[in-house]
This record gives sequence, structure tokens and C-alpha cells, in this order.
Amino acid sequence: MMDTLQLLGGGFGAAFHLAAFTTIVVGLLVGVVAGALPGISFVNAMAMALPFTYVMEPTQSMLFLGGIYVGGVFGGSISAIMINVPGTPASLPATWEGYKLTQQGQVKRALAIALTASATGGLVSALVLSFLSAPFASFALSFSQPEFFAATLLGLVSVIAIAKDQPFVTMVSLFLGIAIGTVGVDPLYGQARFSFGISEMESGIRFVVVMIGLFAVGEVVDLLATNRSLRPSGTRARGLGVKFSDLWGVKWAIARGTALGCMIGVIPGAGATPGAVIAYGVEKQVSRRRDEFGTGVPEGLAAPEAAKNATTGAAMVPLLTLGIPGSAATAIMLAAMMLHGVTPGPLLFIMDPSMVYTIFAAMIIANVLMIVCGIGVAQAFSTLMRTPPAVLGAFIIVLSVVGAYGVRNNIFDVYVCLAFGVVGWAMKRIGFPTAPLVLGVILGPLAERYFLTSLANSRQDWTVFFTRPISATILGLAALFILWSLWPNISGLLRGRHARKA
Amino acid sequence: MTLVLDTEENEAPRERSRGGRRPELRRLAPVLLPVCICVLALWAPAFVFHTEPRAMGTGLGPAAWPRGILALLALMALAWALRDLWAIAVAGRGPSLTAAHEEESYAWGKAALGLGLIVAYGALLPWIGFATATVAFMSIWCLAGGLRNPLAIGGVALCGTVGLLWMFMGLALMPLSRGQGVFNDFSIALLRFLGIY
Amino acid sequence: MKTKKLTTITGLACSVALGAATLAGAQEYPDRPIEMIVTFGPGGGADLMGRTASQLLEPRLGVPLPVSNVAGASGNAGLTQLRTNPADGYSMATLISLTVASWASGLGDNAPEDFDVVAVVQSSPSFLFVPANGPHQTAEALFEEARANPGTLTVATSGYGTQDDVTLKLLGEAEILMENVPFQAPAERYASPIGGHTSAIYEEPGDVAQFVRAGQLVPVVVFDTERHPEFPDVPTSAELGVEISGLDNFRTLSVKAGTDPEMVARLEEAIVDMVASPEWQEFCSQTYSCIEPVTGDEAQQMIVDFRETIAARLGS
Repeated sequence: MMDTLQLLGGGFGAAFHLAAFTTIVVGLLVGVVAGALPGISFVNAMAMALPFTYVMEPTQSMLFLGGIYVGGVFGGSISAIMINVPGTPASLPATWEGYKLTQQGQVKRALAIALTASATGGLVSALVLSFLSAPFASFALSFSQPEFFAATLLGLVSVIAIAKDQPFVTMVSLFLGIAIGTVGVDPLYGQARFSFGISEMESGIRFVVVMIGLFAVGEVVDLLATNRSLRPSGTRARGLGVKFSDLWGVKWAIARGTALGCMIGVIPGAGATPGAVIAYGVEKQVSRRRDEFGTGVPEGLAAPEAAKNATTGAAMVPLLTLGIPGSAATAIMLAAMMLHGVTPGPLLFIMDPSMVYTIFAAMIIANVLMIVCGIGVAQAFSTLMRTPPAVLGAFIIVLSVVGAYGVRNNIFDVYVCLAFGVVGWAMKRIGFPTAPLVLGVILGPLAERYFLTSLANSRQDWTVFFTRPISATILGLAALFILWSLWPNISGLLRGRHARKA
Repeated sequence: MTLVLDTEENEAPRERSRGGRRPELRRLAPVLLPVCICVLALWAPAFVFHTEPRAMGTGLGPAAWPRGILALLALMALAWALRDLWAIAVAGRGPSLTAAHEEESYAWGKAALGLGLIVAYGALLPWIGFATATVAFMSIWCLAGGLRNPLAIGGVALCGTVGLLWMFMGLALMPLSRGQGVFNDFSIALLRFLGIY
Repeated sequence: MKTKKLTTITGLACSVALGAATLAGAQEYPDRPIEMIVTFGPGGGADLMGRTASQLLEPRLGVPLPVSNVAGASGNAGLTQLRTNPADGYSMATLISLTVASWASGLGDNAPEDFDVVAVVQSSPSFLFVPANGPHQTAEALFEEARANPGTLTVATSGYGTQDDVTLKLLGEAEILMENVPFQAPAERYASPIGGHTSAIYEEPGDVAQFVRAGQLVPVVVFDTERHPEFPDVPTSAELGVEISGLDNFRTLSVKAGTDPEMVARLEEAIVDMVASPEWQEFCSQTYSCIEPVTGDEAQQMIVDFRETIAARLGS
């Protein structure tokens, strides 16, 4: 403990050097802006930033990428809250409550809550990273494929929580998404599915591309067709205009979200998106105002926001302690380290602890600074909202196309994105929910991979999911979740039958 | 997929209308969507593989998961269809889907124009290159969106495109499309002129 | 770390000067950026190779080589992109053994004839590694257990129908039956033996170098004709009675077939020079994958042969 504090102090010293500090700030700004731009996700931004790190010192490159990571995970919520287009998949839940608040003219309040929750979640997880990385690392290692499958299933089940009173429609949307996720090469046998002989189809359909299409195109076309202004009524007032009681009121939601985010983030393969969705689902079940969810409930915004940023610090645990990158973002950080000849893992703690603790310190600083950067970028964005909707719309479409293309520099992805754009517009018109579909595309392939590998690792024994204690517990939770969230429907049905008999 | 619902349908009458046969059928239109999805889900397994894969290894094989998911999808779509049938025909309630009705007026023509523009932009992109396509798309979109000042339109389109080119091709080194033939030569010249190449 | 940076920079500066000297008046190509298509996502072995090559080739060719990751379909997505780009020498891609193996198991519509392999720059035999806290610390013990209780031992691999699968099939023919457990995500594959969820992992040493150096994974057998110079204590499979070789993981830099031979020659010259550089040598020794670069027809033949070897084993 004393050692950790001392090393962390050294880390702070290093991070507060002018060059290092500037790097963090620049990284944060790049991250928040890239995240907030519809179409450009923070993973995209990190990959684009990778060549810039070639000329940096190894530590500096980590500060830069870490800043983009922390800022980008939050940035996605700015556009989600302001224009209902999530900048990154993890900001999907922010559209459910945050955009509703914006529609009620409370955009400042929504942003403040999101920012506070994100920063708190990120800060706590960065502290956890600094002090508890060893136990968290062994926790991460004790997870195997059945546990991953159970956790992914819990994420999928949480989607039901989005449904207000139409569980079947939600399930159809979700399963459609999972089915779309099966396009391309399968994870075990290397066989192409639903390729229809088109070689581009073999590489599958990426969730970011689907998300950009479904959300951005529909929103922009509606903007054109209704001629409505994007300028939310609340932006006229200067200053933040937020009461402290607003933030204090969601403290338990933030605490729950943060705890969930730390746990989920540490699991390799999971990440910010499942963390945020599960946190939203749990919050909806726990909250006393569960019936009002979907109409702009602050708790429903705070919990997923806290959770998604809490995954940032937690995701660094397996990367730094084990050398195992759990997500696309941490894989890019690994690439940056390896390109500098630094291999993360247990040896790094012994051989170069100052570097490790500088990264820890940087994560803590980044989360504190995020409040400043976040407010600044949000202000800039609300100014942008004053530009004519046509100009804004044109930029959103071009950025979406660039973003879809940038996922893997492939024009086919642009076609897929625009096709989903048309479909998404139609779905929006008839009220068919799109969010479960996107989550299906994200979580479906993970679920399949974990499911099949679990079976391969247990000689095709189906009971493996129930005989392993952690996996069984999570599956039990998922089952409870289904019952709990469907209870109003079931009891309504029963009561209805009762009433008719009587 | 692009089933269009009449707006009247969404405020489905609370009581069962004893009117003519046509409106009765029209009220059942929302059931078409889940039925279509169900049929598609049952039909899709025929297309899992383009060429039959070689039998390999142990386990469930590459087709098991998609088949299972499609079966569940069909089941859920069927449940949705039955629920809506029951709700509309028996209980006299509305269908599961209720369209967004936050806007008073929705210009369907403009929406179609917008979708067409976006699709055309994507389709032309690899042929005429990112720079040309983006300038054209931005100016037409701004025109469609009600901007009339040619200076403003030109400014937004040109400055916007140059800015994006500089940011993504110059700074982020993304290989955005340069187009084919003449457009390729033009793009290369433009990129040289802008100092990106 | 700092000295390394400095040497890199001085190295770069020198080679820029040299490159400029040799280039002056020689030929026009290349006169604009060459796209470096990395056929896998950021963070993997192919990505590291592509990015290192991009950095080191820039001074040698006098133009930047921006990396674009085109991941998907076991590397075939990126190759399809290379194939559909014009053969003008301005796109180059990483072509690795895993992708060649995927052709043999029926994936994609790419073929060796579609590409012109400029040079094979990395190659490494694969090993079986066991976790340091596992019950079987030698290949003899591991194989003994596999013979005694067929199928109880599990090996983490990259998938069915790959060279990993072929190796396990060959071991199975020698009565050493171990279960193939495919992990698509490399990170999960490495974590599984360390976390005690699988008994062993089939991998090239470069990709698990950090775990080997930290003593978490122990190499027990190498599938090659002779012992690996970096691991002189690790026996070959032939020494243990199972001859398995020729399934090395190799990585190449390739262009589209039909590219002007002069351009290919220019690229080859730069690549050969790059491989000889101390920066590259440091990179490849860190990943245990140093070889003398293989070029020309010999390199092309390597791909054809590898594909046939895998196809033959999978077919039987």
C-alpha cells in the first residue's frame, strides 16, 4: 500500500511535467471531439492516432492514447444527448434518457449529469486500477469462456429492460440483430456464412457500421423532412444552470453503475457497451421510478454513463498486469507499447514500475480534466447546433460515411451503412425499435464465440454453463432479470384472465 | 421491411368497427411485418452457405448458431403476429408498433429526396472520388435543406470538403477513395495541390 | 529506451540521406504514398510487422507508407482489397500463413496467383506451451497423459482448419490425442492456459513472448526439424517420435500480381535492406522470427506449397 502510494506519487510527478500534461490534455480533447462526432468512434480515433505515437516516448504515447480513450468514451454521449445520434456504441443508453431530457429543454442538466457520472465512474475505476490491479487481474483470469457467455447473455437480457410494453417486438429486433451478426466467417471453423458468394460479405457486418447507419441517417433525413431546428430550447441560457441537488440525487445510480462497470470492464472481451447496457437494465429494475424510464429519468442516464467510463480503468487491468488486451481500444494501446519495444505484463511492474504508475496517474488526471474538457466541447457543440440544420445534416452524413469507411478502410462498409440507414429510417417511421438490433449485432457474435468455445473446451458438455459457480450465478441473475422485467406483463396477463373469469 | 403504415392505423379505434370488409382488413396490416419476418427467418437457413463447407472437426458446426437464432427469431415474430392479431381483432387494442408522431408535418417527398441523395452519394463515392462526391453532395443537400445563398452553399461545401480531406487523408492518413480514371488523376492533383501527398 | 529512440532517429536520418542519394536520377517510382494494407486489426503480430515495416521503409523509399487495417475473414478482406486495387505499385499488403491456410479450407476467392510476394520477412516455427503452474511441465509428460487419457487434455488454438488444427491431427495420428479448443480472439487464447482453463497452447513464440519471459508459459516442444536457437533446451517433435515440420508461421509483404517488375524490384531492394537493418533485427529477435528474407519465385513457391500441404492434410 505504502509502495503503491509512493509509486503513484512518482507517477503524478511525471504526469504533471509540462510535456506529459499537454499530451494528456490533447489526447482528451481529441477523444472527446472524435467521440462526439457522429460516425467517428473513439476506437477509430485511436487507430488513426497510432502513427503519431511512433515519434513519442513510450510513456507519452500511452498518455496520449489513454487520454483519447477516456475522452472518447465520454464524448460519444454528447451527440447522443444533443442530437440522438450516439457517437460510440457505448453511448446508446444515453439516447434513451438523455435525449428525452434534451427534448424537454433540459440539455444542460442532461450533459452535467452525464459528465459527472462519467468522470466519477472513470475516476473510481482509475483508483481501483492503481490500488487493486493484482486482485482484479486474478479475478479476470478466473473467468473462462462459460463465464463470458453468461455475462454476454446478461447483456442481451438487459435489452428487455429497454422495452416498455412490447417485449415481443424488442425480442424480434434483438434476434434480427444477432442474425445479422452471424454474417461472415464463423469464429471456430473459418467458414463463410450468408456470403451469397460476395467476397466482401465474408468479412462480416461490423456493429459500428450498422449503428452509424441506423442512427445517423434516419435522424438527418428526419431533420430535412420536418425542417425542425436542432437547437434545443435550453441552450439559450448561459452557464451550466444545474443544481447540485440534481447531481446529488443520482449518487446511488452512479455508485451502482461504477461498480458494475468496474466488474464488467475487467472481463476480457466485454467492454464499455455491455457495461452501459447492463447498468441501464439493472438501474431500471432497481429504481423506484422504473415506470418512468424512457421519458428522461436522470438515474437512467447516470448509471450507464458511470458504468461505461468505469470500464476504461478496469479494461487497463488485464492489459497492464497480464498483457492481455480486453477490447479494441486496449488492443491499440498494446500495439503502441509493442511498437516501442515495451511488452506489458507482470514483468512491466517489476522492470518499469514508474511507467505503469505514470499511466495510472494519467488515467486519474484525465478523468478529472474531463469535466473541464467535456464542458468546453459541449459548449462548442451547442454553438454548432445553431448552424442551419441542412449544413449540420450534410456534415453528419459525410462524417458517417467517413466513419463507416474508416472501420476497416472498405467501401463495402459504406454501402452496408447506407443500406442500414434506409432501413433505420423506415424502422423509425413505423416505431420499430432500433437499439435492440444494434445491441444484437454487438453482442451476438460474442455470445456465439463464447458458447461454441465453451462447448469445445468441455467436450461438448452442455452442463458446463451451470456447473461452474460464477457462470451459474450470472445465468441465475439473467433468469431473475427476465422474470423481474417481464413481471408487469405476466401479472397483467394473469390479472386480465382473472378479471374475465370473475 | 419497408412496410408503410397509415397514420390513422396508429390511433386504432378502441372499439371493433362493424363496418365494411376493407377497413377490417386494413386494420390488420400491421400484422404483415411480423409475418414477413417470420417467413424470412424460416427461409433464411437455406442460404447459410454459398458453397457447402467441408465437414470438419467436432462440435456443432458453423451453421448451428445462425439456425438456432433464426428459429428463435421466427418464434418471436410469430408471437408478435399472434399478439397483434389478438389485440386488434379480439381485444380491440392497437398494434405493438406506434409510429413517432412528434412532428406535426412530415414532408415525405423531402425524406425520399434525402434518402436518394444519401444513397447516390455512397454509390458514386468510389467512382468519382471522395473530394468530388462530397462537394456535390454537400451543395445539393444544403440546397434541399433551404439554403439559397450560393456563396454560403459553395463556402460550406468547398471549405468543408477541404477541411475533411486535410483531417482524414492528411492527418489521419486514411486511404479515402480517389475515384476512377480521370477522377483519380484529378484527386491526385488536388491532393498534391493541398499538400497532402 | 531513450537510446533506442535515438539510434532509431539517427538511423532514419542516415538512411534518408542515403535514400535520397541513391534515388536521385534513378527512377520516378514511388512518388506518392504507398498504402500498407494490414490484413488484421491493430495489435496483432501482422499489425506489428506491417507497422514496423511501414516505419522502416519510409526513409528507404522516400514516401510515407500509411498503414490501413483491413481486418476480416482471416485476412482475406484485406487481400481482396489489394486484389481490387490497381496493380500500380501503390498498395502493398501483409500476406501471412494463416490466410494461406484459410484458402486451403475453402475460404475466400483469393489464390496464390493473384499476388506477387515481394518478400517473406518473418517466419517462426510453432511450439506447444504449458502454463508454469500446470501438472505437465515437459512434452514427455504431456504426451504421456494424452496417450493414457485420450482427449482429456485441451489445447488452445486459433481455429479448426488452420495449421494448428493440422498439427493436432498429426499428433492424433501418433496416438497423442488432445482436444482442439479454438479461440478466435488472441487475447483470450493466451489467457486460457494462464488462467488454467486449457492444458496447453499452440502458438509461435513471438506472439506469447511477454508470457514466456515472465515465466507464465513454458515451451515444451517445437514443431520443426531442428531446435530453435533461442530455446535450445526445448526438444523438437521429431526427437519425441512425431515428425511435424513445414508448418511454420510466416509473414510476407505482397503486391497485386501483374505489378511492373521494376517496381517490385525497387520494393524488394528496400525490403531486403530494411530486414538487414539493426532496427528490424531488434524487432524480429524480440518476436523470435528472424529469417533471411526469401524473395522472388522462391517466395511465391512457398505460398503455393504451404497451401497444398494444408489442403492435403485437411482432405485426408
